[in-house]
Amino acid sequence: MLWVDKYRPKALDKVLVHQDVAQNLKKLVTEQDCPHLLFYGPPGSGKKTLIMALLRQMFGASAEKVKVENKNWKVDAGSRTIDLELTTLSSTHHVELNPSDAGFQDRYIVQEIIKEMAKNRPIDTKGKKGFKVLVLNEVDKLSREAQHSLRRTMEKYSASCRLILCCDSSSKVTEAVRSRCLNIRISAPKEGEIVKVLEFIGKKEGLQLPPGFAARIAEKSGRSLRRAILSFETCRVQQYPFTNNQVIPPMDWEEYVSEIASDIMKEQSPKRLFQVRGKLYELLVNCIPPEIILKRLLYELLKKLDSELKHEVCHWAAYYEHRMRLGQKAIFHIEAFVAKFMSIYKGFLIATFG
Amino acid sequence: MFKIISFHLRFDCLSITVCCCYLVLVMGKRPIVVLSSSDDDAGDCNDDDFSLKLSCLNKSKSRTASVPRTRTKKVRVSSSRSHPGKNANPFDEMRLFCEDFGESFTGFKVSAGNRKGNKELWLDKYTPSSLAELCVHKKKVEEIKVWFEERISTRKDEHCNYVLLITGQSGVGKSATVHAVASHLGATICEWNTPTPTIWQEHIHTTNAGLRYMSKLDEFENFVERIRKYGLISSSLTGEQQKPIIILIDDLPVINGKISYGRLQRCLHLLVQSVRIPTVILITDYSREDTSDYTSRCWEDLQTFLQSVGACKVAFNPITVNSIAKTLSKICKGENFRITADQIDVIAKASGGDIRHAITSLQYFCLKPGSITKAPHAIDYLDDGHSLPFGRDETLSLFHALGKFLHNKRDIETLTASDSVLLKEDFTRLPMKMDAPERVLGQAHGQARPIADFLQENVLDFVHEEAMDDAWVATSYLSDADTLLASLAGVQYKNYVAENIIQSTAASVAVRGVMFGNRHPLSSRWHAIRRPMLWQVEQSRWRNKKEILGQRTTACNGVNLSDLSIIATEWNPALKWLGFRAFEDDTRHLGGLVNDDMVHNEEEDEIEDW
Repeated sequence: MLWVDKYRPKALDKVLVHQDVAQNLKKLVTEQDCPHLLFYGPPGSGKKTLIMALLRQMFGASAEKVKVENKNWKVDAGSRTIDLELTTLSSTHHVELNPSDAGFQDRYIVQEIIKEMAKNRPIDTKGKKGFKVLVLNEVDKLSREAQHSLRRTMEKYSASCRLILCCDSSSKVTEAVRSRCLNIRISAPKEGEIVKVLEFIGKKEGLQLPPGFAARIAEKSGRSLRRAILSFETCRVQQYPFTNNQVIPPMDWEEYVSEIASDIMKEQSPKRLFQVRGKLYELLVNCIPPEIILKRLLYELLKKLDSELKHEVCHWAAYYEHRMRLGQKAIFHIEAFVAKFMSIYKGFLIATFG
Repeated sequence: MFKIISFHLRFDCLSITVCCCYLVLVMGKRPIVVLSSSDDDAGDCNDDDFSLKLSCLNKSKSRTASVPRTRTKKVRVSSSRSHPGKNANPFDEMRLFCEDFGESFTGFKVSAGNRKGNKELWLDKYTPSSLAELCVHKKKVEEIKVWFEERISTRKDEHCNYVLLITGQSGVGKSATVHAVASHLGATICEWNTPTPTIWQEHIHTTNAGLRYMSKLDEFENFVERIRKYGLISSSLTGEQQKPIIILIDDLPVINGKISYGRLQRCLHLLVQSVRIPTVILITDYSREDTSDYTSRCWEDLQTFLQSVGACKVAFNPITVNSIAKTLSKICKGENFRITADQIDVIAKASGGDIRHAITSLQYFCLKPGSITKAPHAIDYLDDGHSLPFGRDETLSLFHALGKFLHNKRDIETLTASDSVLLKEDFTRLPMKMDAPERVLGQAHGQARPIADFLQENVLDFVHEEAMDDAWVATSYLSDADTLLASLAGVQYKNYVAENIIQSTAASVAVRGVMFGNRHPLSSRWHAIRRPMLWQVEQSRWRNKKEILGQRTTACNGVNLSDLSIIATEWNPALKWLGFRAFEDDTRHLGGLVNDDMVHNEEEDEIEDW
């Protein structure tokens, strides 16, 4: 079991990072009822952990007994029926699902399947009608239509079920949905907090941490706790006992992106652009999201760039990132960005060195 | 009340309408009239059947028509005799009906089965009857002749296959060759005739009478079954003369899905295996026009399948312009028309290797509107090849069009800048050496999405080594095109008009953008145009995504569902470092999580140990 899972706090009391939020949540659910919740914050900040702990607080240990179901749904959409396949994770009290997996058909999931689930509500031990909790992940990736239907679902079934929504950025969730939820912002943990967690794990594992080592991991992690713990574990596998100047292994795709960046810096020509495209395809095939590729690529390029060009390059990166969101095939836009960068950089080189 | 009659309309001055089409005209209070403008002997037989079917409904409809050509004449005579007598009244109505159309029908004479007269289709008049008259390439004809001779002489050879597959575009003389060869060898051709297509109204009408609907495929299956069981089609056909028999299957049933394709394939397999009479199957290639079409792909599959089963395949190429021209001038001579060699050449070229089309065009061309005189007259309205009133629409292959866009050939100098808007130097380009891109796109049946993908894949090969700016402009326009196309995806209610506009706009933006951007195209040397790698990438990406989603629950230890991006960017790389050790453990745990407490406890113990 990965340390990330192994040391995931199970109860709200045991949370190390967002203790204040955890305490508030605990107070919120002691009255047995809670409003719809929307957790948002950057990846690796502990949203899921808090949600799991919250569920445990609400329903006790039975919330942890989950089973994975891969169900086929037939949705009747007027003239035709639509087949959907959806993986859900459910206990007796809650169901967790990723509606955005269904792509552009996500609205059917939101409309029909959630309706289906919300209908049969459990009855608790005292014979009182309880409510079911639906955990929806990646709400920000839902299409606008789906978010609209979600709004309706929330109103209609508020008596029998509670929704817990989880997303990276609340700006992509429509105002209507946001206003119907209690928004809980989970900020990225500070580096000091990450260090604290790493030291805690080190103590539990009985590891000797050289001073400053945890801080280096925390710094490298970009304030993502998950990232920090994962690289901590990889360091452990790579070399133990730790030395202070030990290299923290980077993610393979990040290395690949920085390789692409140095390719771009070395030569600017259509032929090189073509080679870069091949490498970008390699990343895309491995399901690295294009937004992340573009962001990382920009980051790597900026590291090597003269400061006078930075502004323009950032402008074009933003421009093509926007295009990418509007468009269909990401490679068109990433490639256009790379081409633009090459053309700017080449002009700059010619201007300075003649 | 419906009165249904059948007529043989002899189009004297010739129609552009295709032979063998059945029109149902419902005109207000008038009865339904079924017209058959058939000129084919075999077709006539069917007509009789058709009318019979309708008049006496209790007659069984199923029919494995295999009427030899020699006997059709007799049937025809009987039919022509019966119609005017029996249905005198409808005949009048027919005339009335014709008068309704007034002047447009003046050139047409209704003649029930009148075969004589010189105003017939040249296509039928000049049907090749001997090998010498065929304008198919000599070698192909020879090949087919040899094949038949072998089959007919060595009848009882068990190891020999008896199926010949002839493929080719329409109008390259596939069936004409078979007929000519057969008559040369003195063989009788038994044709599997297409049963008359059941029109929807007819079907509705006959369902009350309790008749079962039989599709063409059903009938074909019956036919093959019969051939298999009884060897020969029926002894009555061969009868007295011991002539060799050739079975000709001209149009196979239309297939429109996996199931019907499977049925047809099975059927043909049986046929190839069991038949002991030389059998010819004709398949028309449509592949030249559009390879992405499902049905044409089906036909291709079927061809390869038949070959693999053991049929012998002969592919006919389009007929060369020269031999078409030769045939046309022969016909002109026969008809006493004076026509210049240039004109014949134009017609031959416009036909695109389709002799049938060429002859029809010629007849149409020799026609002076209004009067059909045999008097020789000169024809002078053939100025340029573009404004021909006939001729097949020229199509371009997609690759041809892409080549035009990518090579981006332009004139050396600007013609005049006076009429155009003055542009900055950056934005002016030399005039293109081709038609407007939209026109080329139209000729190539170019759809926006694949065009954009192809351009994206290939454009960089055609940009000059140093011209980075050009590459950017081109890619940036492609990015615009992609954004335009994306606005179509996932829209709930389709608005076809808007979609069309967006499609063509996006295609224009992509094509013109690439051409505009590529200011310094490489000197034209040979480039291969690749298939977009993007398609492959998308496919394997989709597969990987499925796989990751499948493993998701395992990766996160079954406690919660993680986002795809997190798994791809964080879990998987980490797991790679950890060498899958932890990963294997996880799968074991998951099994425990699903079931009961006991395993749950065990799992917790394991955590302590680990």
